[in-house]
Amino acid sequence: MDFNGFVRTENLSKVYSSGRIQVVALDRVNLSVAKGCFLGVTGTSGSGKSTLMNLLGGLDTPSTGEIHVQGKRISEFTSDELALYRRYQVGMIFQAFNIIPSYTALQNVALPLLFSDVTKLQRLRRAEEMLAKVGLHSRKDHRPGELSGGEQQRVAIARALIHRPNIILADEPTGNLDSQTSREIVEILSDLNRNQDLTVIMISHEEHLLAEFADEMIRLQDGHVVEQSRGD
Amino acid sequence: MRIADYIEQSFFNLWKKKLRTFLTTFGVVIGIGALVSMISFGKGMQKNVKDQFEKAALFNYVTIISNSEGEHLAHSPRHRRVEPESNRPGRVLDDDFIHEITQLEGVELAFPERRFPANLKLGEKEQFALVQVLPTDVCRSKLMQLVVGKPYMSDNENAVIISDSLLRRLNIKDPKSAIGRKIEVATLILDLKNFLKPGGIISILAGKSLPFSEESYTFTIAGVCERAGFHGPMPLRSDVFIPPGTADQMKKLSSTSIWDFFQSKGETKGYSMLNVRVSSLKYIDSVKAYAEDQGLRTFALVDQLEEMKTAFLVMDMFLLAVGMIAIVVASLGIINTMVMSILERYKEIGIMKAVGATNRDVKKIFFFESGVIGFAGGVFGLILGWIVSILINRVVNHILSKQGAPHVDCFAFPWWLCLGAILFSIVVSLIAGIYPTLRAARVDPIVALRHD
Repeated sequence: MDFNGFVRTENLSKVYSSGRIQVVALDRVNLSVAKGCFLGVTGTSGSGKSTLMNLLGGLDTPSTGEIHVQGKRISEFTSDELALYRRYQVGMIFQAFNIIPSYTALQNVALPLLFSDVTKLQRLRRAEEMLAKVGLHSRKDHRPGELSGGEQQRVAIARALIHRPNIILADEPTGNLDSQTSREIVEILSDLNRNQDLTVIMISHEEHLLAEFADEMIRLQDGHVVEQSRGD
Repeated sequence: MRIADYIEQSFFNLWKKKLRTFLTTFGVVIGIGALVSMISFGKGMQKNVKDQFEKAALFNYVTIISNSEGEHLAHSPRHRRVEPESNRPGRVLDDDFIHEITQLEGVELAFPERRFPANLKLGEKEQFALVQVLPTDVCRSKLMQLVVGKPYMSDNENAVIISDSLLRRLNIKDPKSAIGRKIEVATLILDLKNFLKPGGIISILAGKSLPFSEESYTFTIAGVCERAGFHGPMPLRSDVFIPPGTADQMKKLSSTSIWDFFQSKGETKGYSMLNVRVSSLKYIDSVKAYAEDQGLRTFALVDQLEEMKTAFLVMDMFLLAVGMIAIVVASLGIINTMVMSILERYKEIGIMKAVGATNRDVKKIFFFESGVIGFAGGVFGLILGWIVSILINRVVNHILSKQGAPHVDCFAFPWWLCLGAILFSIVVSLIAGIYPTLRAARVDPIVALRHD
């Protein structure tokens, strides 16, 4: 582990409260990911994988501890700063694809640019480029309902890449896909990691697949990092 | 995000739920339409009244009323009597007084109120009317609003001006066709021959005969004017006007009613009322003061202006309140629609936040949607209000024309009302959008992304 890492956490904890009941989702996690690293995160359900991903992606804020990304302490960011961080620094991919059903593939990919000062023409041109990169240019005018699961996930990857972020956070991107499509998706992420020097942090239950492509692996259990290893 | 993008997004999102958007916008259309109709009706009525008075320069007139006439007129609810400060007997309104008052600064003209009853015959049709003696100067002034023809040009001309409403009662539909036609004016004169005949008194008391006889005169119709005021203290209060010189040559009763006929016995001679025209409003007070100092009563329409304004303000407020009820209902519709939209697009909001939308971006997206509903509601509401006003105007004028009244525009659409209606609609919609917008901005992206 690189403790001067590109992405670094220090004693990162997250506790959810529901009335008097407190659930510790993450407990003093220390993590360091180097620039250009492909980190695989595995663990059982409820081990804190998604919580870690939400914290690293700036969707949630830690209860205690710190998160540093590219030298900036994002755990101290305001709501607006976190939004800008999500917009420009990270690209997130989810198990449920999370693309808007009423938008076409092209509109979905262009969505993050809508919140920047980019003209419509530029937005659509860049979205087309991204769709071409994931091999979906011919399907740009189709809505999610007309696309397969793998195609929808590729739309989500293209959307995550539209702002040319430094980090890709993928929360079980293969969870809803068959094994062949899962492999294709991981290959795309691996390709981005190797050829564009993107830092990829990916959660998956498919340890073998992850181990095949990841540079490093960690296993979470009950909010703790219980195992660290290098990939195959 | 650019403004054009917000607008495009708003239309895109609203278009996805066409029926709901249409119904919500229709609620705003009804509200704005009602509000616009109400305000334009109030403004239309004010404009009608004020224009009519200003057009006729009625604010430049002071009516001086003799004490006896003042008491009589005080029974009229429309007439406001001005009490003189002293209780001493008032001055007689005679030619000497008229001469005095015309010497006052700013007085252009003073003429007495002189009317007499007559039976008018045009072709086969007959109508009873009060004929007013009107100086040529007044007849030629803008007080006399001629629809067609021209005023009589001298005090001795054998011509009359007749109102369009009386013409209609005489079965003349086209005022132009009346110009140059002869009209027979039969005046009433006191005739004691019947009274002195044997059994004459009994016949009169039994209602079988009257102590009057008719004297006929023929005049040429020189012009047709708009209907004059009958109940107010306006200088023109008849349907037929003749020059003073011509009137002096006619035998007639000077009383306008049986009441006047009996009341006038034994009283001092003089006119019941005097109309004074001043060149500027600043002379109104001096004329009034002069008359009131002599124990006379006065009335000036300009004094009523403030009261009229207050009355119109109250009317405006009432109409506004009625219209506002519709707007409040429409606002609730907007809130409901926007809240529903947020619930439906809960996950979409989460996705937008996940890819970098700030709370402000989300707020603006929903604010623009409310604004677009408001804008569309305002524009179409204005059109609806305008169409409704045209329809009501037609119905009202159809009824008025049957009653012989002139055409009126009940509604007025000043530019500020058109612009204000649209702006108001947008503002109301934005206000209605505040709660849903705040709610949208508060959406937790993690919860929203898990939402099905």
